[in-house]
Amino acid sequence: MDMSYYPVNYPVLKIQDKITEPLIARIIYSRPQNAERKIFGEMVPYNTVWRLGANEATEIEFFTDVKIAEKKINKGRYTIYAIVNPDKWTFIINTDTDSWGSFKYQPSKDILRFDAPVQKNADIVENLSIYFDKTKTGMLLVVSWDNLSASLPINF
Amino acid sequence: MRETGFLFLQFLFLLSCNESVKSPVAASDIKDSPIINRSENIVNPNSNLDLSPMDMIYFPEDYPIQKMTKHISEPPIARVIYSRPRIQGRKVFGELLKYDSPWRLGANESTEIDLFRDVYIEGNKVPAGRYILYCIPKEKSWTIVFNKNIDSWGLRMDQSMDIFRFVIPIIETNYQEEYFTMRFEAKDKGMNLLISWDHTTARLPINYQ
Repeated sequence: MDMSYYPVNYPVLKIQDKITEPLIARIIYSRPQNAERKIFGEMVPYNTVWRLGANEATEIEFFTDVKIAEKKINKGRYTIYAIVNPDKWTFIINTDTDSWGSFKYQPSKDILRFDAPVQKNADIVENLSIYFDKTKTGMLLVVSWDNLSASLPINF
Repeated sequence: MRETGFLFLQFLFLLSCNESVKSPVAASDIKDSPIINRSENIVNPNSNLDLSPMDMIYFPEDYPIQKMTKHISEPPIARVIYSRPRIQGRKVFGELLKYDSPWRLGANESTEIDLFRDVYIEGNKVPAGRYILYCIPKEKSWTIVFNKNIDSWGLRMDQSMDIFRFVIPIIETNYQEEYFTMRFEAKDKGMNLLISWDHTTARLPINYQ
């Protein structure tokens, strides 16, 4: 399991007194390993809700209200899933927190779905990696694993 | 997650699980993160896994799994998010962790306890919310501190943000816990937070009222 913050490295910046932006978000996720398997299309089947991690469902917490594709997302904790397809990944923000995997995924608790294009990685990413990257209007949630990445733009 | 070379230097002064590297453990084995090869401000952290992996525990125990397998409608009561350093041949209490010095109860990001409802510890009402936990170990007891300096790293002592301090006895165990371990156990009208490493364990009783 690991966690990523926005601002990037917030806890380290905090103890170094280098914070210049307020705390916006944190993601908590487990990091499955590639382990020489074929990931997308096999380990992670196409067109199926994927937990975007391992073990406990992946959690994203917003410490302030944010916007995704013009939709306001209230501050709070959410579970994030993805549906992987060859041409796009659909990110899902769902209110059913503190759950395990995607086995009891309830579409009725979705608050947002966002289709993101798929990008090829220059290098293979051995362990699933999720982090935030700064943009002009907010941040990107970048998900990378194996040979692919996809990004969810979040504005604030 | 990501650190800097500068931070590694700081670690030498912080009470952490990185310090006091002694043979036979090679230095490269005991780093809990790839902190040396990383320059500052790198955004892409497609990094190696942390050597002290992060974990999460819930009360009720295994709440996310129970929620999946049973029909639970009540929310969880508490959870702890912490990293799990290993002993790796070191002497833990009295050496790696100095008596009377704060210990961050983990590694990497500060150890966090989330209370999803108000609880009572040693008669004190502890309001629902997020706290970080640290410990001041002594030979016969530990002082467990709830502090409000959340979303921080390691342990930069800010005692002004301490909210509660609880002194709990320790128990010597005949088994050895290689990984620093925390778990919740149910008890009458509440739960215990069990904190264990090496041959030592301690219980923090948490009550509903």
